[in-house]
Amino acid sequence: MSMPNSHSHTTTNKDTRFNDVHSTGAGGSGRWSTKRIAVYALFVALAMVLSFFSFPIFPAAPWLKYDPSGIVVLVCGFAFGPAAAAIISILGFVPHLFTNPFGALISMIVALALSVPAALVYRRMHSRKGAVIGIVSGAILGVIAAILCNVVITPFYAHMSMAKVVAMIVPILLPFNLMKFAIHGVVTFLIYKPISKLINK
Amino acid sequence: MAASMTQSAGSNSAVSKTTVARLNQVSFSYDGGQTWALDNLTMEVHAGEHLCILGANGSGKSTLGSILSGATAPDRGQVELMGRVVCSDTSDQGRRIDTEAYRQARRSIGMVFQNPEDQIVTTVVQDDVAFGPENLGLPRQKMLSCVPAALRQVDLQTRMNDDPTRMSGGQQQRLALAGSLAMNPGMMVLDEPGAMLDAAGRQEIQSILCRLTAQGTAVVHITHLLEQARQADRVLVLDHGRIVASGRPDQILNSQDLPALVGEPDQNPLTQSSTSDTDAKTAVGNHASPMVKLSDVSYSFPDAGSKALSQVNLELAAGRTLAIIGRNGSGKSTLARLICALAAPDSGSIQVAGLPLAGPDRPKAKHLRRQNLKLLRQRVGYVMQYPEHQLFADTVAQDIAYGPHNLGYGPEQVQQRVDEAMKLLDISDLADRSPFDLSGGQRRLVAIAGVVACSPQLLVLDEATASLDPQACARIMRLLRVLHQRGVTIVMSTHADREALDLADQTLLLEHGETLDYGPTVEVVERYHQLLATDTAKKDAAGKETAEQETNQAQTDQKPPSLLARLDPRAKLVTFLLAMFTAFAISTPAQLVLALVVTVGLFAAARAPLRSIMNSVKGFLILMLLLALFNLLVTQTGRRLAAWGPFVLTTGGIWVAVLYACRFMLIIFLGALLVETTTPTQMTDACESLLSPLSRLGIHTNEIALVLSLALRFIPTLGREVQAIVEAQAARGGSIESGSLSQRLHAAIAITVPVFAGALRHADNLSRALDARCYEGSRQERTHYRLLRLGRMDILFIALMAFYLLALLLHPLF
Repeated sequence: MSMPNSHSHTTTNKDTRFNDVHSTGAGGSGRWSTKRIAVYALFVALAMVLSFFSFPIFPAAPWLKYDPSGIVVLVCGFAFGPAAAAIISILGFVPHLFTNPFGALISMIVALALSVPAALVYRRMHSRKGAVIGIVSGAILGVIAAILCNVVITPFYAHMSMAKVVAMIVPILLPFNLMKFAIHGVVTFLIYKPISKLINK
Repeated sequence: MAASMTQSAGSNSAVSKTTVARLNQVSFSYDGGQTWALDNLTMEVHAGEHLCILGANGSGKSTLGSILSGATAPDRGQVELMGRVVCSDTSDQGRRIDTEAYRQARRSIGMVFQNPEDQIVTTVVQDDVAFGPENLGLPRQKMLSCVPAALRQVDLQTRMNDDPTRMSGGQQQRLALAGSLAMNPGMMVLDEPGAMLDAAGRQEIQSILCRLTAQGTAVVHITHLLEQARQADRVLVLDHGRIVASGRPDQILNSQDLPALVGEPDQNPLTQSSTSDTDAKTAVGNHASPMVKLSDVSYSFPDAGSKALSQVNLELAAGRTLAIIGRNGSGKSTLARLICALAAPDSGSIQVAGLPLAGPDRPKAKHLRRQNLKLLRQRVGYVMQYPEHQLFADTVAQDIAYGPHNLGYGPEQVQQRVDEAMKLLDISDLADRSPFDLSGGQRRLVAIAGVVACSPQLLVLDEATASLDPQACARIMRLLRVLHQRGVTIVMSTHADREALDLADQTLLLEHGETLDYGPTVEVVERYHQLLATDTAKKDAAGKETAEQETNQAQTDQKPPSLLARLDPRAKLVTFLLAMFTAFAISTPAQLVLALVVTVGLFAAARAPLRSIMNSVKGFLILMLLLALFNLLVTQTGRRLAAWGPFVLTTGGIWVAVLYACRFMLIIFLGALLVETTTPTQMTDACESLLSPLSRLGIHTNEIALVLSLALRFIPTLGREVQAIVEAQAARGGSIESGSLSQRLHAAIAITVPVFAGALRHADNLSRALDARCYEGSRQERTHYRLLRLGRMDILFIALMAFYLLALLLHPLF
């Protein structure tokens, strides 16, 4: 597999597959290579599929569920850059628009807050250290975004005042989101190396 | 011998025909010239001929196919495709490859690949066929005739509006052929199109290919199956990148040397080891309780109406081998999953390795069940279909060690088991390689070693040899024979009857989930042959009739689309989403009544099948009830009605509970209705059209819409794959739900890495399929098979919905 690295995002068609001695121009004549379209499509599909595999992780709040789609947007941001991360973050939650419109919007915002900063940092610092800093900063912004969105949205679903929701932050929202982003971060950190090998093959 | 054959090709009658492809002294290397996948190869393809290219894995046949289809260029030599020189033999690298000539040539060359599923681009059969013609910029009028014509050529004309992701592999592969045919190619290149199909599916493809050449399309069929070469006009045999034989099938296929050339297995080791079979059986077959016992087992998938298995009975003594045969979709995999406790039956009892898994004996207590499951994982090994998809570790040895490690063995014991499993499969030399660098056949062996290393008493294999070349198949057969001698009980599902005859003591024949026959292998296989024979006979005899009947039926079945389904998807998408978002603004009884009336009206206009919509929203309704209960108890305004300790029921509480529940219901039902009346293709067309103003800002809206549409199409594929990997790793003792933190993390990695690897593998195949269908993004003028046009009805609908939204939002002001 060959994919453009994140730097060639605005100047398309720098894919190595299309520049080697065997290239016949197949797949590389559009603005985006067919390879790029196919990989984005599969990552979006994966985010969609994993967003349905949700389960509670915090016994105190069984209605808050963990789903592994955040791992997909992080990996995608590392591999293909911030623009790709943004595309996957938004498209990955489109199906949820039709069942839970506000929930879907929140998921998009949180995924963007997580993946885009992480991808930006990793683009600057292409190392293990950069990956850690990227994940941690993305996770911090993700937690903040998640809590802010929850404060705004919860009154839509339950008859509670904003103040009551704010009171839930420390005992419930904060620990749940910390757990959630810790799992995202640790798993991404552990799987990124083997996956990047596959991507660059 | 090879030389004499090459000569005989020269005397072929096809000399006078025009050529559609000509390769002259072509060489190709994947590693910059260290080794040559194709070595100085010269060949031609004539118009209208059926050419079969035979060769073992690694012979260079796929590379040759790729060059003939115009997807890759060689390192050296001249390539002429569809009358154009696309790659010339000059040392000037800049002028060697003519990409514009390649582009033009590719427009007349069709390509069909091995994996049927990965070539589907959308969720409606006719839209999928139209994708290629759209890319070629064919006028819409022409598409309206060529799309049905292509579907007729592959006998899918009655399935125009079906969802291809729900069709069988054979049907999907026929669809891929139709997608190619609709582009009216002068040459079709097919790379092992039958490798992932069962015998019936392969036969269907074969007969279509024979029809094509009659119409003047050249067919290049790449395969490792000798049987498929018999109907060709000409056969080329490839070995180590060279043509070693060429001629008419009857000249080539009866030659003595051929089996070795195309990798047909050496028969001797098999027959030798089978002599000691009987001894092994008596040694272990002590007549205690059976290893596997199923009584009246039935199972149906949660989302399907019909039964996947009904009333299956079987009993297998320890040390015996059972084969499960039947066509694709007959329930073989489901049965294997039930035996491994990866699914629970609807009724009946199952006992495996002395553990009651289902039925009256199954323990009621949760901890006992969990303990049983743990014991089962130790005693039963499960090799899923395409087990190579479960590989995840950095090295082969680490991957094989995953199962034994999960079972709790110490490092030394784990090492010993890994070494032994590798020796058993003869892959010790691969120990330190990355599993992702290996060939498909090697990966399969590694995956099986990972299950064998757990030393199961019972080994369950689901089509362990599917789409492997004969050599790798023979190796797996040898392994099963050795395990059998060691007393391991084996349950193997297969559609290769030879494997059943070679290994199984008893065989179960499934058809539509029912036991058609069960007993000694020879008899059951005989019955299976009869089944297949009567089937093809029926098809041949009544083929035309049934096709006509089906057409008639399809016509009567197809009700005219409802009012809502006929609306422009853009009008629906925007108004529905607005109605869903504004549902949260509802706060008075009048607003609620208005919204409910509009929703009921929309449902009436859609003539919506309430039952299927209810089914799809069932999960949300439960959530909604819980939420209503919560709201009922936290709201304490209004009149007090009752109180139980700290819980107080008030009129305010009831109103809030009803209001919030109704808002939720409105949103969920509107969303479900939109999805029900709009196909994914319409949805993406609408998105593309609505987003198109953004393209002025430099956002690639066309491409993003295609990404979304492809993603929606791949959801079921990936969903199934994630499920299969989770199950396979669970069968190796990996669980995210229990164990220490590091064990859980390890389990998460063992699932995520193969899931990503699978996504990337599909992406690789898909990008080739997009190339084969000439997708070039916005470079060329794409035409559209479906027209989006706002009609009078749409305007009226938008006006009505706008009126509703205004009324809803402005109501609080009055």
